[in-house]
Parts: sequence; structure tokens; C-alpha cells
Amino acid sequence: MNPVIILILTAMGMLSSAIIYLAYVKIPHKVKGIERIEEISGALPGVNCGACGFAGCFGYAQELSKDTKMITEKPCPVALQSSETIRNLEKVLDIKLDASALRKKALLHCCGGNSEIIYNYSGVESCKAAAQLWGGYKKCPYACLGFGDCLKACPYDAISIDKEKNIAVIDFEKCTGCGLCVSECPHNLIELVPAGTKVSFRCSYEPLRDIPGRGKCQYGCIHCRKCFNACEFDAITWNKEEAIPEFNIEKCTLCGKCIEICPQDTLAFFNKTDAEIKSPSAV
Amino acid sequence: MTELISLFVGMALINNFILVKFLGLCPFFGVSKKLSSAVSMGAAVTFVMFIASTATWIITRYILIPFEVEFMDIVIYILVIASLVQIIELFIIRTSFALYNAFGIYLALITTNCAVLGITLLNARESYSLPESIAAALGAGIGFTLVLAIMSGIRERLEIADSPKSMKGLPVAFITATLLGLAFSGFGGMI
Repeated sequence: MNPVIILILTAMGMLSSAIIYLAYVKIPHKVKGIERIEEISGALPGVNCGACGFAGCFGYAQELSKDTKMITEKPCPVALQSSETIRNLEKVLDIKLDASALRKKALLHCCGGNSEIIYNYSGVESCKAAAQLWGGYKKCPYACLGFGDCLKACPYDAISIDKEKNIAVIDFEKCTGCGLCVSECPHNLIELVPAGTKVSFRCSYEPLRDIPGRGKCQYGCIHCRKCFNACEFDAITWNKEEAIPEFNIEKCTLCGKCIEICPQDTLAFFNKTDAEIKSPSAV
Repeated sequence: MTELISLFVGMALINNFILVKFLGLCPFFGVSKKLSSAVSMGAAVTFVMFIASTATWIITRYILIPFEVEFMDIVIYILVIASLVQIIELFIIRTSFALYNAFGIYLALITTNCAVLGITLLNARESYSLPESIAAALGAGIGFTLVLAIMSGIRERLEIADSPKSMKGLPVAFITATLLGLAFSGFGGMI
């Protein structure tokens, strides 16, 4: 092999890297605040996945440089997975981040149940289309229609359809809390809740119209306040306006009394499978 | 001057990079869903083609030919183009943010685009002079942008058209591409 080739290749490589290094050091920061953006983007994971909703990590850093507080509203789900990245971000942004509170999971506010079918729907297989016709084919106007619009939106395969109940099921382990499914549901059944949520309220409802629990579905909340009265740890507060229970994550001890006493089966453990709940050791 | 113009037109229409030479097919299908992003991509490719062919012409003329290592062109060109794009991106980010937002992520994507490497190799094969290389690069870039813009315009309409289920999305885009290629083959033999 001709030594000239090796020499030329090596020289070219070294020259290019030297020029890039010089460019990195010497090119002036003319745009206002660009140093800060570069610093922040250095602390981010740098995988450019776009789960935060911005065009890559650099775009996210751009927004962060304007307002550091927005990280609590639109946290980077990838950064929340690793404690080291969180620490770096805390240092750069000079704020405190409570990662466990920020980590979110999707929760479906419907447990399917046996809501009566009021007509035979045979149109396009899409929840959005079905919801246009009298709010769907189920008697409860807040029911999950089970055509899987959310499933199509999920990039992580975390959602599946329960054929028996005809509702969507969200896999707690696979869900990353990206929130792509939330806007897909025409009945607004999916909500992003903190990952530490212990008891899930599996019914959706608007108090001003009617009560889904009565006569519409076997599992819907009937606002009996039994769960509120049963809790020994003050973990449940009663939301008077909407007449639904609200759960305090810190105070809840996972005793399961509220779930047991609920006459409608509206409540369930959030991050446990059905099998785990049925076995007494889990409770 | 007329030679340069005919080279420019020839590169843009007759020897179109996408539809005749089949280079840069990846962005042709990947970035042709929206007109605005297609035009940004085309502008970025044209710009990088121009810079890259200028730089590689200098390197070919003053390094590769004197040392008689022209066969090394692919390796050297990839190195040069990749580092050039890095520097340009750095420069644009730090000096003009509006320009960076217009180019977006496309600049980084072009680093390993075969159309950019293609134009530099073509210049070397044909041993064009510097003005000829620049005219060829600009022609190729404009042709690339033109086809990308036409394709994205068609695909925007196709999105709402009532096509059979099995043809939705990419399949119908492939058929559109062949028809577009057929149309462009009509330019053959014009000059």
C-alpha cells in the first residue's frame, strides 16, 4: 500500500477534526442566549426522540431556556428514567425536580362493564367516527368504545383491546406517559396521572348531565361516598363539585378497603394486574 | 456562459438527480409529505451541494491529482462533506437562529445524503472546472428541490383522495413517482 495514501488520509482526518474544534471554540455566540441553550441541551439525554413534543433535544432546550418551570408541565420522559440525567438537569437549570411525582402514566377512566348496547354500529372502525353517532353505541355516553384509536397512537405497544369487555387496556409497565393517546379519545377518558397513583377511579362522568352509574352500567360510580367513609387514613377527600373521590398518594397505604367496599367495582389498584389483586397476599 | 446555462438546465431537468439518476430517493419519499418541509429540505440540499462541490473541487485539484490518488475520492469526499456540514450547522446555530429554524434538522440529515456525494463524484468523473462544478451543483440542487416540491404537492392532495385501502400511503406514492419519472423522461434529448 502506498504510504502517501495513509499520510493523506490521516492528514485530512486530523485537519477536519482540528477545524471542527477551532470552529467550536472560535465561532462567536452572536445569538442571544445561545450559550445557555447549548448548556441545557448538553444535560438532556440527546436521543432526539421528540416525546416531549418539541423538535429534538435542542428544540426542547430552546423552550427550557425561556422558562425553566415548564419542565414540570412537559417533562422529558427519557430524562426521568435515569437519576443521573435528572441530577445534571437540576444542576444546569438550578431547580429541584421531584422525579417520582413527575413520572406519569396513562389511566383509562372506564372499566367497560356491561353498558347496554343501544344500536348495532357497523360504520368505520374508529372511536371518533362511532362517537359522532349519539355518542357511541353503548348506553353510557362516557363509555370506552373499544375501536382502539388510542392503540393506533401508542408507539410503545402499551395499549391492547379487551375483546370481551370491548375496552382499551393500558399496560402499566409499558406505558411511558408520553400522552399521545390522551387527545385521541373522543370521550376524553384517558388522563395522565402520576406514576405513584395507587387507586384508580375507573369511571368518567360529568355531574351536570346525568349519573352514568345508575341504570347505564353496572360498574359506574353512583356517588355513594362509601369509599370516603371507609378510608381510615384520610387518603380520600370528597370533591363536592364533581361528587367523586380524590385520592392522596402519600397517605394511601394500599389497604384496599375502599376497593372492597365499593358497591359498583369502580375502584381498582392502579399498577397491579387483575391476578395480583385477586390473590390476598397482594392486598 | 451558454455552456454553463445548458449544464445547469441539463442537471436540473434532463439528468434530474431523483427521477433520472435515482440519487437521493430516501428524502424523496421520506420528506415529501408536506410542501413546507420539502422546500426546506431542497434548499438545504442545494446549499450543501454548492458548498461541497466547491470544497471538493479544491481538494481534487490541489491534493488528489498532484499525489495521483484520485481513486481515494469517495473516502475523502465523505470526510470533507461530513465535517463541512458540521461546521456550517454550528455556524448557523450561533449566528442566525432564524436560518437555523428554517433549515431545522434537515442540515444534519444531509451529512450522509447520496445526492450530495453523487454531485461531487460526478464533478470529479467529468473533470469539470470550478465554474462548471458550481453550475452543475446548483442545477442538481434546484432539480432536486423542484421534484421534491412537485411530489409533496401531489402527496398532499393524495392524502385526502379516496384511494383503495391497500394503496393508501406509500404504494400510491410509488406509482406517482413512476408517472412523474415518465413525465421527466420527456426532457431527454432536449439538449
